[in-house]
Amino acid sequence: MAVFADLDLRVGSDMKALRGLVETAAHRGQHGPNLREAKALRDENLFSLLELGKSRPIKILTRLTIIVSDPSHCNVLRATSSRVRLYDVVAVFPKTEKLFHVIQCSDFVYDLFCLIWKLLGFAIDRGLAFELVYSPAIKDSTMRRYTISNALNLMQICKGKNVIISSAAERPLEIRGPYDVANLGLLFGLSESDAKAAVSTNCRAALLHGETRKTAFGIISTVKKPRPSEGDEDCLPAPKKAKCEESCFVTQAGVQIQERRLWISHQCIHTPKNRL
Amino acid sequence: MATLRRLREVPRHLLVCEKSNFGNHKSRHRHIIQTHYYNYRVSFLIPECGILSEELKNLVMQTGPYYFVKSLPLHELITHEFISTFIKKGSCCALTYNTNIDEDNTVALLPNGTLLLSLDKDTYEETGLQGRPSQFSGRKIMKFIVSIDLMELSLNLDSKKYERISWSFKEKKPLKFDFLLAWHNTGSEESTMMSYFSKYQIQEHQPKVALSTLRDLQCPVLQSSELEGTPDVSCRALELFDWLGAVFSNVDLNNEPNNFISTYCCPQPSTVVAKAYSCTITGFILPEKICLLLEHLCHYYDEPKLAPWVTLSVQGFADSPVSWGKNEHGFRKGGEHLYNFVIFNNQDYWLQMAVGANDHCPP
Repeated sequence: MAVFADLDLRVGSDMKALRGLVETAAHRGQHGPNLREAKALRDENLFSLLELGKSRPIKILTRLTIIVSDPSHCNVLRATSSRVRLYDVVAVFPKTEKLFHVIQCSDFVYDLFCLIWKLLGFAIDRGLAFELVYSPAIKDSTMRRYTISNALNLMQICKGKNVIISSAAERPLEIRGPYDVANLGLLFGLSESDAKAAVSTNCRAALLHGETRKTAFGIISTVKKPRPSEGDEDCLPAPKKAKCEESCFVTQAGVQIQERRLWISHQCIHTPKNRL
Repeated sequence: MATLRRLREVPRHLLVCEKSNFGNHKSRHRHIIQTHYYNYRVSFLIPECGILSEELKNLVMQTGPYYFVKSLPLHELITHEFISTFIKKGSCCALTYNTNIDEDNTVALLPNGTLLLSLDKDTYEETGLQGRPSQFSGRKIMKFIVSIDLMELSLNLDSKKYERISWSFKEKKPLKFDFLLAWHNTGSEESTMMSYFSKYQIQEHQPKVALSTLRDLQCPVLQSSELEGTPDVSCRALELFDWLGAVFSNVDLNNEPNNFISTYCCPQPSTVVAKAYSCTITGFILPEKICLLLEHLCHYYDEPKLAPWVTLSVQGFADSPVSWGKNEHGFRKGGEHLYNFVIFNNQDYWLQMAVGANDHCPP
């Protein structure tokens, strides 16, 4: 089983409240709380890792939720958008059914789908995760009915696959422990093992899906190395300098093989000064 | 509707009850105790008893020690020195501390020299060792079990297998865990764990002992020959099991109508016992010590006693990778695996073994 994760904690402007929320999540046993920016446009607000938690330190990740009420908002979902790369998880929340179709049919890049009403089956083929939030069910009895009925509708179509349950909590009291959330999954129509997977395994899959957004098909990722210092450059004759130097991490199925250096321009041999 | 039906079901759990006699040469009591390696809590209850005998008290105080080592690298457990000093000369048990079996990587060393690693998918792929998927995985296999026989490895330290395991633990994926260790020494030499692991901040601990006398306790009436009980004459084994859990959890069994927390009451028929002695030992307890405790409780009835029966309950660690022998143990919503002996004055006994959802049937 993977570690437990809560992929949706709401961020306000109060840092102290936020810290309280994250500490509560850590004490409840969530290892990967994901802080959500709920805005129609994007925002940048990255947080550093905190060393809390029980058996291992928790990891705090960033999430961008794009509430789409107009087709122009979908531009940010394009794969070439640099903003989207800054976040670990990208979620989409379409407000109308028409936008739902627009998002489905285009080649946009996102990891999670936030639910409020009915669903179409072909979304599941994309390997997306569907997110159910439970804090409205805690706050209000009418919302509780809607949450449960929407969840049961979702289960009829997706049969419990790729479902994530998260809190959308704004206050520490709205967070529940992972085993309690897995029990809540039973009310939503999931089986016991699917409910536990909804809080652990499927969250891990969504996070990995987010990481692959920054790579080429999940196999190759590139990292720009800083330019060599001025002292080293001076000892080489100018025309023989390499045009650029890149480090390429080649990964297959999550296992790192080795680092390779690609020399793109002419081969250049570094000779130490005393040999010249 | 499927959801409603599923909601009415309780999580799967198994309780196996059997009866036998200690004098019976086919009795399995020793085998059951010796194959349940990771024991967290041992409790016994003696009705009609005000004070413990000196011998029993000494035995209770000598169930330790056990050791705690911080950040022990895994390759230390496969060295020839460790195997020949501790595994071959006695029975050595080790279990990782503060790791959840359903979330984290867990390592356990069995007394027969098997090193079991219960690893999540990423760690398993990174170590490069051969293992099998866990039997309680679900749709996607996220847990793998690697089993290394250290006794077989120690016979040939130049083998490719040993080199690969050594390379994996030292270079490929060096894993470090906090371990709970205990060792039952059957050799003549006095080598100790404290001196062996002195560079890893090893601490010695004694199990915690809690003794108490319960007054005016309602106890069920039992007949040793009737596991299923007889209406109005004796209670069933299942009812006794529930009642014992309630007593050790300090539940009020008064059945008061205004009690919000519990309306559980003692199964009928029952008698009221003036005083009962309850003892709980918590720690990392070896099976050998539990065997000694059971032997002593068997001899409790050598002299005539008022108590109709005596119970001994043992609970295993919720996060251990095995329950009995090599049976895999998992944690779905609870990780219980425990057994309970009910000893009668005619040397008959009842043995009840209980496991939770992600477990195989007890032996």
